[in-house]
Amino acid sequence: MGKSLRKFLDGLYLAGGVVAALCLIAIVCLIVLQIASRNIGFAFRGGPDYAGYAMAAASFLGFAYALNHGAHIRVSLLVAALGRYRFWGEVWCYGVGTAITSIFAWFACKFTYESYKFNDISSGLDATPLWIPQLSMSTGSIILALCFWDNLVTLLMTGSPNVRETSVAEQGED
Amino acid sequence: MEQLVAIAVFLGILFLFLGSGVWVGLSLMGVAYIGIEFIAGRAAGGGMINTIWGASSSWTLTALPLFVWMGEILFRTRLSEDMFKGLSPWMARLPGGLVHTNIVGCTVFAAVSGSSAATLTTVGRMSIPELRRRQYPEHMVIGTLAGAATLGLMIPPSLTLIVYGVSINESIRELFIAGVIPGLVLAGMFMAYVAIYSLVSPSYKPVEEPAMGFAEKFRNSAYLIPVVLLIFLVIGSMYYGITSATEAAAFGVLGALALAFLQGSLTVSSFSESLMGAVRTSAMITLILAGAAFLSLAMGYTGLPRALADLIATMELTRFELLMALLVFYIILGCFLDGISAVVLTMAIVEPMIREAGIDVIWFGIFVTVVIEMAQITPPIGFNLFVMQGLTNHQMNYIAKAALPMFAIMVLMVFVLIAFPELATWLPDTIRQ
Repeated sequence: MGKSLRKFLDGLYLAGGVVAALCLIAIVCLIVLQIASRNIGFAFRGGPDYAGYAMAAASFLGFAYALNHGAHIRVSLLVAALGRYRFWGEVWCYGVGTAITSIFAWFACKFTYESYKFNDISSGLDATPLWIPQLSMSTGSIILALCFWDNLVTLLMTGSPNVRETSVAEQGED
Repeated sequence: MEQLVAIAVFLGILFLFLGSGVWVGLSLMGVAYIGIEFIAGRAAGGGMINTIWGASSSWTLTALPLFVWMGEILFRTRLSEDMFKGLSPWMARLPGGLVHTNIVGCTVFAAVSGSSAATLTTVGRMSIPELRRRQYPEHMVIGTLAGAATLGLMIPPSLTLIVYGVSINESIRELFIAGVIPGLVLAGMFMAYVAIYSLVSPSYKPVEEPAMGFAEKFRNSAYLIPVVLLIFLVIGSMYYGITSATEAAAFGVLGALALAFLQGSLTVSSFSESLMGAVRTSAMITLILAGAAFLSLAMGYTGLPRALADLIATMELTRFELLMALLVFYIILGCFLDGISAVVLTMAIVEPMIREAGIDVIWFGIFVTVVIEMAQITPPIGFNLFVMQGLTNHQMNYIAKAALPMFAIMVLMVFVLIAFPELATWLPDTIRQ
């Protein structure tokens, strides 16, 4: 039971990352289309808006995947200095993280539902009903909150979170 | 008075979250939520989602993941070997010898990559073992590389400048173009330091390079052609106004893929690794940006930016004094925060201040970038120090000490920028016409 749940959750975070990656590819394609439409002269409306939606999706769906790989930046100086009390420092961090991401997920869903209910339309040339691209925000924020709950519970039960803390050097980006 | 207490509580919670190790982006989001909901006493949810959605679904921002991806693709090619082969014959005769390949290599790679860590690893992977083999003084090899790699932040494309431009709503293209000359000047100053040091120091006795004919030097330079083409594709297209930063980024990705394909280093696994790496890094940065956008909104409720700008105005600081205060402030902040977090965290407060003082925001972007570059090599949180540690297994203190002269040169660069603001403003002015 525990093992298959673990597999499912890690798979879910990875799936978010893969969809985010597809969105990056989509951004490149949209930009190329945009340039082509300008130079060859066929109509392609709302390219920048669609690229923006793909950008948002790439971010929100990638959040949990990045967290699970220890890619999100934090100031770990103090936590590392806690020594044998580190566990409690981590509980605080994951606790606060869980609270914030849960609030975020709640409001993201509420807001997306309201755009659907009041039928908000993008003010750009694309005229997309906004709830469709905003689904990426609500989905991504739920996965992120889930990832935090998962890590908090894992931390409390096993003494260490599920996040694989890669060394800073391996993250390699700044 | 009441406002002062509110501001103190607000900042107190912010530093508590950040200092205790809560993820930077979430710290900003959390304190902003608390600030609006409990300190200002209004419903925070709607504003939260509105600002975060607006900040995340932006066309300008799409340049960010694409430039990250481009760097990730190039990182997985043979580019670092090729650059060393192409550059070293020309550097061997300069006073200071092949240490210059560190600096020129970083400058060249910085022009196709937006991150200083990627620049450091790509150049260092090849140059560190080669320079060691020729018995160059270790602290020079380490120090110049750690310092010059920070050019990745200054020379376009630059993630720091994208983040800065997105936070204050200024043209990324102009910021990029503004970074070109200061970046080259800084590189020149690093090289001058190496040359002078090599002439003065008695212990600077590397193994002599075998003489190489001009024709052979030229043949070796052929290795540089792909990367030079890529630089022209990305920076050139922006300079000549053919593309925006985002479109140049898309060209960059396609160009990098083509380069990797021609080299034969483009495989399914290297492609997907580069893509997933880009997803992680860009998610890391956009979470901070999302949090910072929401924090700016909350800061508006507390009145902190206004109050601070007014306070600074009443102090009647000269422009120079204000810049010095900001310099010290950012150096201290940079000791504990990474550059991108430091920029986004402070912009809500600093932007009104500098606009009030009549400082050119494009110029200020370059100023901040130099200061953020310094932060990369200052302990305890200097990012390049960590990366260098991973690369060489030296102690952090040793690396920081070796990079100290580079730090001093960057401080000098700040004053050069203040004395000659045209360095950063002239080139963007020419493209505006």
